[in-house]
Amino acid sequence: MSRGVAETGAEGSRTFFWVSAGSLLVIVALPALFVVLVAIFPDLGSGSLAAPFAHLIQTVADPELAVLGRNTLLLGIGTVGFAALMAIPLAALRALFRVPFALAWDLLLLIPFMIPPYIAALSWIMTLQPRGYMEQLTGLNLAGLLFSVPGIMILMALNTFPVVYFILSRTFETVGARFSDVGRVFGAGPWRSFLRITFPLATPGIAASLLLVFAMTIEEYGTPAALGRRIGFEVLVTGIENRVSEWPIDLPGAAALSLVLVLLALAAFLVQRWLLTRRDFRIVGGKPQAIEKRPLGLWALPVTLLFAFVSSLATVIPVLAILASALSRTISGGLTPGNLGLDNFSELLNLGGGLRALGNSLTLGLSTALFAGVLGAITAYAIVKGRGRFRNVLDALSLTPNAMPGVVVAVGIILAWNQPWLPATPYNTPLILLLAYTCLLLPQPVRYANASLQQIGDNLEAAARVCGAGPTTAFLRIVLPIMTPSLLTSMILVFAVASRELVASLLVAPVGFETIAVYIWRQFDQGSVGLGMAMAFCAIVITTLIPLALIGLLNWRSKGEAISLR
Amino acid sequence: MKIHFLAAILAVAAGTAQADVTVYSAGPGGLIKSLAAGFAEKTGIKTNVFQATTGKVMARLEAEASNPVADVVISASWGTATQFAEEGLLLDYDSPNAATVPDYLKIPGAVAQGVAGLVIAWNPTSGTPKPADWGDLTKPEYKDLVTLPDPAASGGTYTLVEAFVANGMTDVLQGLADNGAIVAGANKAALNPVLQGAKAGVFAGVDYITMGAAAKGESIEAIFPASGTVVAPRPMMILKSTRNEADAKAFYDYVLSEEGQAMVAKVFLMPSRTDIKADRPLIGDLKLLSAEGAPARDEVLATFAGIFK
Repeated sequence: MSRGVAETGAEGSRTFFWVSAGSLLVIVALPALFVVLVAIFPDLGSGSLAAPFAHLIQTVADPELAVLGRNTLLLGIGTVGFAALMAIPLAALRALFRVPFALAWDLLLLIPFMIPPYIAALSWIMTLQPRGYMEQLTGLNLAGLLFSVPGIMILMALNTFPVVYFILSRTFETVGARFSDVGRVFGAGPWRSFLRITFPLATPGIAASLLLVFAMTIEEYGTPAALGRRIGFEVLVTGIENRVSEWPIDLPGAAALSLVLVLLALAAFLVQRWLLTRRDFRIVGGKPQAIEKRPLGLWALPVTLLFAFVSSLATVIPVLAILASALSRTISGGLTPGNLGLDNFSELLNLGGGLRALGNSLTLGLSTALFAGVLGAITAYAIVKGRGRFRNVLDALSLTPNAMPGVVVAVGIILAWNQPWLPATPYNTPLILLLAYTCLLLPQPVRYANASLQQIGDNLEAAARVCGAGPTTAFLRIVLPIMTPSLLTSMILVFAVASRELVASLLVAPVGFETIAVYIWRQFDQGSVGLGMAMAFCAIVITTLIPLALIGLLNWRSKGEAISLR
Repeated sequence: MKIHFLAAILAVAAGTAQADVTVYSAGPGGLIKSLAAGFAEKTGIKTNVFQATTGKVMARLEAEASNPVADVVISASWGTATQFAEEGLLLDYDSPNAATVPDYLKIPGAVAQGVAGLVIAWNPTSGTPKPADWGDLTKPEYKDLVTLPDPAASGGTYTLVEAFVANGMTDVLQGLADNGAIVAGANKAALNPVLQGAKAGVFAGVDYITMGAAAKGESIEAIFPASGTVVAPRPMMILKSTRNEADAKAFYDYVLSEEGQAMVAKVFLMPSRTDIKADRPLIGDLKLLSAEGAPARDEVLATFAGIFK
């Protein structure tokens, strides 16, 4: 096993490669394979291979496809633009300066992850439409902006930009502290050193996070469905969902459309790879770095106002709107004292179903976070530090689910795991949801761990090997600790999304098993909007508090270790 | 690690008990929940329920087709039953409790669980005059204030549009489009803006949903239009593939029993049996539009899409 120092890190990756490849095959490739098969063989569901390709050709030849594809691209790019506009300045400010109330803004910007997008869309509709909460309070409404294509983009950017904010603020912090200081020493002004050094070196983070936003946007169903349908703006994912949820059902058509969506995401992924391979972005060397943030001086007030403005749009207003509907006895009663009360919350506590759904979702969310986190770290390591052609396949495979709409993953999973010849199957047990969520969310930890691994120089591991550590020890003691912050962030994201996932859960949940999102959806379906919103509010609070407690605990622990290390 | 995971899957799968009766049902969720509870109390047989929209129920059935899980299916669209019957998927069972269900609410293999009607769902605090007929909503008083569910997403709306096309009433639809009515997705998406007052009324609202909202204290009223409306029977079927025929039949009988039908009436649906009382207008009280001579589904939807483009 002795090889040159330049290739250190590759040896440990071999085991990781096989573990990762095996798991990805079962979790991602298997359902994806069945999606491809059903696109080709329309009658696969009943076990027949008749009339291959007939449907695929029909779907691809449909002129509607061009419209859906164009709208999807437009929405993805527009949302990425708005998200970059919101996130990059905030992330740079947060990373390089002493922003007042910095932790409070971090917390507020964490919450959009916990708000299910369809709930956020509904709360914005109830706030901005004529006679909505805003008109009840101020006499004005913004229905014109809300029900428009830019409106949808802004709303989706508000849901997704925190991804960029959190990845970038960490990247800027790492880069800014040392490298731009060097620039300053050589006479560059603060702007120049940011634009010429910090910003370019942060490219992997920017590319990775914006790619995530793009993939999340083209895959997201709730917001375009709630807002776009009214103005006739259909995207691929709503087209797919319509084919799966409107009778007569068209599974092959939905599968064919999702293949188009997967191609779109793969294209975005190639762009990201191209950006990353052009240069070397390794910035984490062995030397300890003290992060010295600059004071804002006169700019403190405007910067605080900017943070307050963006966080109120992203978090405060939607959460207040959710609370307002949860406290309203009836929707038509509006925000009048007589109509407000805790009835919905007491009904939520008194009916057993709500608490059970909460417990189910939290358990599933935590298990998915752990499982996807571990698998994601292993996969990212195999991709970044491994060798061979197949690691690109692994990389592409780990990204594929990001482009598969939840409803299609659900169909693929049912087809794959409900085959009559299987001796035993997780189908119709809660485990099937763990499989579905892991499949859907695996791209997040892989992306995050990937971006942080890109920045770790090989010499750190090489040093460990020289000192006698085996590949596994080097990974556990050197690489993993450096990756941990990024990985934890992604696991929190996975937890948040898994505990509120709707579209796949609705289709694939075992009979009689309710998750938070399914519970909320059923309340809406019965016309109990207030009860659904009460559940949504409790879920947001709980899913925010759990990661916060975890972060607090880790910070408290790592402080002790950090001291002992120095 | 993979091996451990697979082992865990196998262990859990092996330990899973088969449910006694598995029912896939379209909403309302409250109804299927109370039916399952009542059935368990009466017979001791446990019911496992998957509840979603008709579309989602059908998607799951289709994906599971090679290895069906459901015993009983309740959908909100009569067309699903006629298609399943044609495909030979249904068990032909003539329940003794269906004796008082009128003939047009049953076919071999399916009988209606209950019936929904289509109405104008109007918000009395919207500051608009109370509409009496479909055509009223094309008047200037309702300019930009009407929503309607998408017939592609709502079986009820589809039935109404179909009847309008069959009876040469498409001018009403054109009038709605010209008056700024919006097509708003499924039934709930159309009703919500009306509850908050952003819109005044739903054209082709679902009666039991509207009455249920009114019973909760919402300011909303179900109006049966003077020129007539359509009804959407909700078929209940036993799949031929059931591995549990006796219990499935027992559940079927229970839904059609006086007790089961009273639960149907309680959520403001019309009971299928004519001998059950309900606190709402029943089929016999309604003026119905016929859909005879209507073109095929694609053509109806294309006509609609042409009007609301």
